[in-house]
Amino acid sequence: MFKNYVKIAFRNLWRHRGFSLINICGLAIGLTCGFLILLYVGFELSYDRFHSKSNSIYRVVADIKTPTDLMEMSRPSCAVPPHLLKEFPEIISAVRVMNITLDVRNDRVKLKEKNAIAADSSFFNMFDFKLVQGDRSSILKEPFSIVVSQTTAKKYFGNENPIGKTLKIKNEDIDDRSFTVTGLMQDMPKNSHIHADMIISMTTYTQGVLTDLDDYWGTYDPSAYILVHSNTDPKYLESKFPEFLEKNIGESMREDKAYVSLFLEPLKEVYLHSPRGGTISGDMNSIYVFSIIAIFILLIACINFINLTTARSVERAKEVGVRKVIGAQKQQLALQFIGESIIIALLASIVSIVFIVLLLPTFNAISGKIISSSIFVNPAHLGILFFTAFAIGTLAGTYPAFVLSSFKPVHVLKGSFSTGKRGVVLRKGLVITQFTIAIALIIGTIIIYNQMHFMRNQELGFNKDQILVLETNISPAQKELKYNLDNLKGVLSTSLVSSVPGAYNNTAYSLMKNKDGEEQVANLDAFFIDYNFISQFGLDIVAGRSFSRDFATDSTEAMVVNEKTVELLGYSSPQEILGAHFSQWGKNGEVIGVVKDFHFRSLQQNIRPLTMTIAPDRTDLLAVTISAKNIEETLSAIQQKWEVVLPDDPFNFYFLDEAFDLQYRTQERFGNLFLCFAVLAILISCLGLLGLVAYSTLQRKREIGIRKVLGASVTKVVTLLSKEFITLVGIAFIIAAPLAWFIMKYWLEDFAYRIEIQWWMFAIAGISAVLIALVTVSFHAIKASVVNPVKSLRTE
Amino acid sequence: MLVQLKNISKWVNSGGQKTFLLKDVDLWVHEGDFISIMGPSGSGKSTLLNIIGMLDNFNEGEYTFLEESVHSLKEKHRANLYKQYIGFVFQAYHLIDELTVKENLEMPLLYKKHSSSERKSLVADMLDRFNIVGKKDLFPSQLSGGQQQLVGIARALIASPKLILADEPTGNLNSKQGDEIMEIFTELNKDGVTIIQVTHSEKNAGYGSRIINLLDGKIE
Repeated sequence: MFKNYVKIAFRNLWRHRGFSLINICGLAIGLTCGFLILLYVGFELSYDRFHSKSNSIYRVVADIKTPTDLMEMSRPSCAVPPHLLKEFPEIISAVRVMNITLDVRNDRVKLKEKNAIAADSSFFNMFDFKLVQGDRSSILKEPFSIVVSQTTAKKYFGNENPIGKTLKIKNEDIDDRSFTVTGLMQDMPKNSHIHADMIISMTTYTQGVLTDLDDYWGTYDPSAYILVHSNTDPKYLESKFPEFLEKNIGESMREDKAYVSLFLEPLKEVYLHSPRGGTISGDMNSIYVFSIIAIFILLIACINFINLTTARSVERAKEVGVRKVIGAQKQQLALQFIGESIIIALLASIVSIVFIVLLLPTFNAISGKIISSSIFVNPAHLGILFFTAFAIGTLAGTYPAFVLSSFKPVHVLKGSFSTGKRGVVLRKGLVITQFTIAIALIIGTIIIYNQMHFMRNQELGFNKDQILVLETNISPAQKELKYNLDNLKGVLSTSLVSSVPGAYNNTAYSLMKNKDGEEQVANLDAFFIDYNFISQFGLDIVAGRSFSRDFATDSTEAMVVNEKTVELLGYSSPQEILGAHFSQWGKNGEVIGVVKDFHFRSLQQNIRPLTMTIAPDRTDLLAVTISAKNIEETLSAIQQKWEVVLPDDPFNFYFLDEAFDLQYRTQERFGNLFLCFAVLAILISCLGLLGLVAYSTLQRKREIGIRKVLGASVTKVVTLLSKEFITLVGIAFIIAAPLAWFIMKYWLEDFAYRIEIQWWMFAIAGISAVLIALVTVSFHAIKASVVNPVKSLRTE
Repeated sequence: MLVQLKNISKWVNSGGQKTFLLKDVDLWVHEGDFISIMGPSGSGKSTLLNIIGMLDNFNEGEYTFLEESVHSLKEKHRANLYKQYIGFVFQAYHLIDELTVKENLEMPLLYKKHSSSERKSLVADMLDRFNIVGKKDLFPSQLSGGQQQLVGIARALIASPKLILADEPTGNLNSKQGDEIMEIFTELNKDGVTIIQVTHSEKNAGYGSRIINLLDGKIE
């Protein structure tokens, strides 16, 4: 019996190869999408779960409340972790992890390592990063110890054993010191929010270069993690923190009017759920979005499946009748048809494995992560795939099986039977659902791409073209390099700065005199610059003046602010702030000028109040405007100068405009993935439409024949056949448009500067959906309408 | 008595009016009968045959099949009854296109849960009996109409029914093929199988032992 079913299933598939192909491919594409998204979501959810103690590890974060704002920091002050460890017995260990940039060299290479951290000695005891060589508890004990990853070790030492070798390292705190490699670790897993290529011992700072770091209550540099006893209630522990802070810094908090509170975030939630960021962070929303898309695409694929199978029931009706007359029971027939749909679904899952193998590298590239190197790595994944296919086969097969097996033989076998009316409403409903999803995705894609385009082309308020940013260290040699470059052919302008737009910038705790004459406390974004910066970047002065060497006090007692600062302090015009007193990071003076607001961060964020002061001791970047001609030549000339002046420093540079656009990489990836899935959704929907139209024309063969005999033209017939389906797409559009509008409006709210949703975005989506559907439909409609009516009528 | 119909009526409501398909039909069929039902198009021949075959319901009257009152049976029991005792032969053969001759013959046995060896021997017997051993691996579309109908009859017979119902079995065949099929029916009848056929042809009706004429749903 079973053999008989399988046999008939395969023969049926083969006899209707075209439709089997549509059915299997549609489902396979759906499964592939769903599976890839599942991999992605699984990967995102797996962050930081590989540490065996991950349930007892918490990240310590801090809020600082000042009279004007609340800063939600991703890290507490430097002194917090060691003091917590000392005062709370339930804390087993505390680790600080500080992101640092290092200039590293040995006799082979010199490189700028941006992906480095400094960590306390119990780092490897708390976290389960794998060590190849070295002892977990002792490798980060001594000052000037360094642990490198295998990939990094290759760069510096080739195939030699790195243990015991030395590296020369410098940055703004470490002054060209020799570090001993004490450990070799495996490259850190991608699904870790702590991710570094090299780790230096925190004792390098605490016992080496900045000896009193353990008591720095005012510096918020390293992230902090604590490991607690497994029976510790984090809420209870948190409740004891105010007392702890009061004891240690109560006095100074009141003095600064800056009140600190500490909180604990479970390690497993840091990546996805913490709004504070601080390190690599994921986005729970995009996980929701993609999960929903995955479900939608699977749904579209299932709908296809149901539609095609029920539409084909005409053909199977006779078989049902015969089998029933011969002795089959309803349940037996239903089982047979469900079995067939399971076979199709399993075939689809095999095809989808091929797709996944082919697509995985591209998918990894688009999503920017190595989500999975191969589908065969994890047998559970294959299991999930087959199980999903099986479930879809069963679920999607149930309705058609129910319809088919309930045919009455006496009707079917007379030959007068037609399924024309049966399930038509359902099929139409399903087609509408499919196209609603597909059109909504297209509208979404159009809006996302427009927003991306907008962000890239928006006037930012400063020159970003032809600006080269050299990553130097603050030193006399740096000034010499600038001087050398100023005289170089092809270099138009240079300046020394602490930050450039789009890159990290400091925030400084400042006191500023406001409109009412009070000293207002505020945490303000700060650029430390030189005299040339404002003119080089083309910032507009709207009041007062720019920095000038003509005023001796400008280097120490002058500040330029942006319009947002004026607003923050309550002044009604930029003129009024001129002369206002400021105090920031040990400097006192007056505001001398106001620049027009410019986007120093991505367009996702509102422009914030910004202060600029002259501070040669803080400017570690050299911004160089070069002529658009002979860029290559100029670049190599700059490098030559660099090698002469800074022979020990790695030559590192980037173009400002490219770096600024890199901020949109996440959105861009999101957009690309979205586009892929929208295209697939349309593709699967059209496959389904193609199949439906084919059957509908088959069913109406006789009608078409009669119409043609009575004089209908080919055009008339094509119109007749297409109208019905195009109407469905139209209805889908009407449902999809407001839906997409609502969702995308919500999405756009994430961007401080955003496009307005325009009617033409919907028009394009609607028209393209109709066109695609029209092409799909007319393919069969034309074929059916040119057939000689004699042929179609004779068969009756 | 194999089949006993008493005052069977069947009607449809069209436009608020009853249109009778069958009206007060009385019919007795004894085991071993070979009955031909004749009548013009629309006279209710096929409806009558379907009612006898329990594929269709009737509105009024009594139907007794092998001492069982069909009209009072539940759908499921009725289905079991016809599956056990009745074989159907159709004008359009109604073989399953995706199965070979052998597999088509085997199918009724699959639903009756015969063992594999039993099925094989029964199918082999049938192939032998109808001289189609050479065609056992062909698909229906590779056979002539006459051959297909032969398979259709073989399939109806394979589960050894008491009654064969044939709805214009020669309707799609030429006269030579038709004659052959009628010869086969005659032989089956001699072997004790009861046959009821619907036919348009006087000549074919003549093969039967009794002719029933229907006109507008009534027996003449």
